[in-house]
Amino acid sequence: MKATNKLTIPDLITIGVFTALYFVLVTIATFGSAFLFPGFNNVVLPAFCALISGCVYMLLAAKLQKFGGISVMGIVMGLFFMTSGHFIISFAGNIVMGIVADLVAKMGNYKSKKGLLASYVLFSYGLFGPVIPMWFMKDAYVANLEARGKDATYIAELFANINMGTFVLAVVLTLICALLGGLFGQKMIKKHFVKAGIV
Amino acid sequence: MPVRLDPRAKLYLLLLSNLTLFLHVSLRAEILLVILLLFLFFLSGKLKSGIRMTIIYSALVGIDFFVIPVAEGLLLNFLSMLSVGIRMMLPCIISGAYAFSTTTVGEMVCGLRKLNVPECIIIPCVTVVRFFPTIAEDYRQIRSAMAFRGIATGNVALLRHPAQSLEYILMPLLMNSNNVAQDLSVAAMTKGISLPGQHTSMIELKMTPFDVLYMLTCTIPFILFLGGVL
Repeated sequence: MKATNKLTIPDLITIGVFTALYFVLVTIATFGSAFLFPGFNNVVLPAFCALISGCVYMLLAAKLQKFGGISVMGIVMGLFFMTSGHFIISFAGNIVMGIVADLVAKMGNYKSKKGLLASYVLFSYGLFGPVIPMWFMKDAYVANLEARGKDATYIAELFANINMGTFVLAVVLTLICALLGGLFGQKMIKKHFVKAGIV
Repeated sequence: MPVRLDPRAKLYLLLLSNLTLFLHVSLRAEILLVILLLFLFFLSGKLKSGIRMTIIYSALVGIDFFVIPVAEGLLLNFLSMLSVGIRMMLPCIISGAYAFSTTTVGEMVCGLRKLNVPECIIIPCVTVVRFFPTIAEDYRQIRSAMAFRGIATGNVALLRHPAQSLEYILMPLLMNSNNVAQDLSVAAMTKGISLPGQHTSMIELKMTPFDVLYMLTCTIPFILFLGGVL
């Protein structure tokens, strides 16, 4: 097929297929983290997801090798997050991080390993969208508890573990897991796809 | 005959419930909106999911009113997560579930085209919806192939070597997705998806008065909240 820089219909269908896989992995990560770390699931969700979906991301980047693929994936992910009952912020987060990740990957011409890894880390932060409400809705929790006649200091104690500290923890954890997941993905792609001559 | 809403009206309801969550609409306005949304399930003949959603929502509101005031400690922490966190998400989940379970792929494409969404977003979206069943089917086949070779025969065994399980399941999935992507492209191109110009459609979408009426009705609780009545 002639190489163009624009996305063709087969490219778009490929993106759709990989986005579906990515979405399934996100769902698995959501249930997995809710099951393994009840109460803290929102903190570990982006990290967990980054850990397992490196392969999908790396294969998509290796297959397309052109600008737009990662952005479109981010946008479609955002749309599906919204329709599956997530926050409107998750929409914005996925789009912005998708485009940023795409730009970073483009700088390495979609070939540089480090560039792809960096772009994967950035893309993983797109998943912070669905998580942010946890910090954002804290006020609503507190207001509700006050309305139900709970003591203010008692409420403060309850929410001691939802603060900037956990936010930083989530950011760092995601960074580490995205690096690991991205490396694992690159290793797997090399082992299974490059040797088989698919990409 | 079950009543159908236009996909665009469903999208509007989805945005509305997202906005409800975003602006922390008062509980009374939220309950009104949820009742209106749940009513749609019954109108479209989805009795089972309608009843299930109704039970979940009323249970959460019930917890909020009757259990939270007497709960203490960790239990309170957990319950308030449930009754506030999940409850506030529910309007979105309800409208999302409604939109998903009552819209066919064809309607979705037609609706998105009418909204002037660029083709480069529509095609991946449709592929995603089309591809979910394929993933489920592939997964079952991969697991039985693994079991046949005595690898990770149960769900617990899958968790014992997470990296190995990930590789053994994800790689065949990716290989197959790669092929299916090519097949789907060929099929879609054969049907003329890449032809320039206006495409005709089997489905004709029109906003009926009922659509407009329902959209307006669902906005009322929201406006009442903004006006400070609710």
